[in-house]
Amino acid sequence: MINSSKAITWQTRKFITGQVKAIAITFLIFLMTTSFHKADPVTDAKLIISFRAYVHGVPLELNKEYKNPFGETFEISRFRFYASHIAPVYSDTNVKFNGRSVYHLIDFSDSVSTRLALPVTPGLCNGIRFLLGVDSLDQIRGAQRGALDPARGMYWTWNSGYQSFKIEGYSSASSQPAHIMAYHIGGYRHPFSTIWKIRINTTDDIAFRLTKENKIMVEVPIELDYFFDGQTPLHIREISSCMTAGELAWKISENFIGSFNGITLSKNP
Amino acid sequence: MKSLRLISAVGLCCVIWTNTPYPFKVPSGFPPPVYRFQNNPRTKQGFELGRKLFYDGKLSKDGNFPCSSCHQQFAAFATYEHRLSHGFNNQFSFRNAPGLFNLAWEKEMHWDGGISHIEMQPLAPLLDSHEMAEDLEDVISRLKKDKSYTALFNQAFGSPGINSQRLLRALAQFTASLVSADAKYDRMKRGEVHFDEYEQKGYAIFQKKCGHCHQEPLFTDFSYRNTGMELDTTLLDYGRMRITGRKEDSLKFRVPSLRNVFLTFPYGHDGRFTTISEVLEHYNSGIIPSATLDSSLARGIPISENDRFYLISFLSTLTDSSFIKNPLYSDPQAMGRIAQPVEDSH
Repeated sequence: MINSSKAITWQTRKFITGQVKAIAITFLIFLMTTSFHKADPVTDAKLIISFRAYVHGVPLELNKEYKNPFGETFEISRFRFYASHIAPVYSDTNVKFNGRSVYHLIDFSDSVSTRLALPVTPGLCNGIRFLLGVDSLDQIRGAQRGALDPARGMYWTWNSGYQSFKIEGYSSASSQPAHIMAYHIGGYRHPFSTIWKIRINTTDDIAFRLTKENKIMVEVPIELDYFFDGQTPLHIREISSCMTAGELAWKISENFIGSFNGITLSKNP
Repeated sequence: MKSLRLISAVGLCCVIWTNTPYPFKVPSGFPPPVYRFQNNPRTKQGFELGRKLFYDGKLSKDGNFPCSSCHQQFAAFATYEHRLSHGFNNQFSFRNAPGLFNLAWEKEMHWDGGISHIEMQPLAPLLDSHEMAEDLEDVISRLKKDKSYTALFNQAFGSPGINSQRLLRALAQFTASLVSADAKYDRMKRGEVHFDEYEQKGYAIFQKKCGHCHQEPLFTDFSYRNTGMELDTTLLDYGRMRITGRKEDSLKFRVPSLRNVFLTFPYGHDGRFTTISEVLEHYNSGIIPSATLDSSLARGIPISENDRFYLISFLSTLTDSSFIKNPLYSDPQAMGRIAQPVEDSH
């Protein structure tokens, strides 16, 4: 009798330890999955964003002549920039959505690229934010595809790195061959980094609610008057090109971010 | 669960069947490499594709300048006997082509460290108008037209398609595989051979006078230093400052590895020194002071006539003849024959 009861106890124990082990393993797996896979935020709302370029309030057309605030004539043939981590600015500070680290090459010679529809977390918002340029960690990841494919013409080959933006064209004020005007602006190293976190509020701080149903188009105007007449006055006669990283590139990038000003809203057509 | 296992097993077999893993061996005594083929696992097929591309003129505008035109195996993949390398349309580049070996340990490449990732390095010579003078889109469309590449890219990457990422990753599979670690110096370290008296004396002098910057076992500390070379006013090469835009970096260049140094002449970023003796004399008596001169060189490095003799004996032990003769790294079209130095081929 004693023997059999002992046997039962042993078996029960074995069973219990088995159970405990199973529970422990399940718990561990649970811990691992929760700690390694942070729950993705709900992103069933859509932010439709449209970048539009202007010169003196008039929509920019490529290869058309304009005058900058200094009276210098110019035309733009190429205008591109990188944007990533695009997200609304939420009035509710509890919403934690920082945008996705997906890179978009906004290219004004390809109108499709200037308008993006991005999944975002619903909420009440009063602006948008994004990263201009390519984050320093993504600059050194090796050969990449998509917007970061070096064949897209935004990669500096002799001083590894993606340009943040490129404004290229002609100006009679330029003394370069064929009157070329070329601002290829990049550099991700301290202290002349041309990568900026941009945050733009709505004009008059108007709030807007993004929900699954409510599709709102956010228009981001880029007024090139401020690109020339910015923190550092950019006279084409004096500075008709910049194609290396450094202090000048950094200053020009500062002018460029100054040309993003007050977003406007419209119902998505 | 069972079906999952089956699927993964079948999947694994497929991958192994199309791609033969080709593990990278770190030589004994070497530190862990920087490039570990992350996102680009080394396979036999990937390596072979990279090797074919390295030797293929199709990557240059006029077809005459494959990577191997400036990186010749018999010169430890430097340009033999050329001050400055040269390329398209009889043009010189503005620097001396460095030897290519042990690149997997380099965090940055080029004399000024301008290249921050081995996979992106080939873009520099490929697009430089003085070198291969090409356009990335053109190269890719040319490779797409070549039937042999269609199959090779497919085998190397497990699906059809040729794009810049695959081109660059294949090249990195080859270039990062160029390991030179079998010189007499290495065999001595492994206890297989002994240095003779001169080599031993030279080694002691080297450790005392040179080893601080040319650190073993890679024979460089990968730093940028101004070694007191006068600015060449025709080249106006300010080195590292060109990359960082910082005055403090003016005239600083990367400390080159001294492995295979007997094969990689001329020396210096612009190839101004023809012989090792000239380089040693520069450190002994030729240093030009300037604001950014390396502090360890303020008084030069006294190297006597005797020191020079011993040092050269030691430096000769850094020549890796099995590396320069390794058929694995040679032109696949040459069927195992290794090219020899000739009078200028261009």
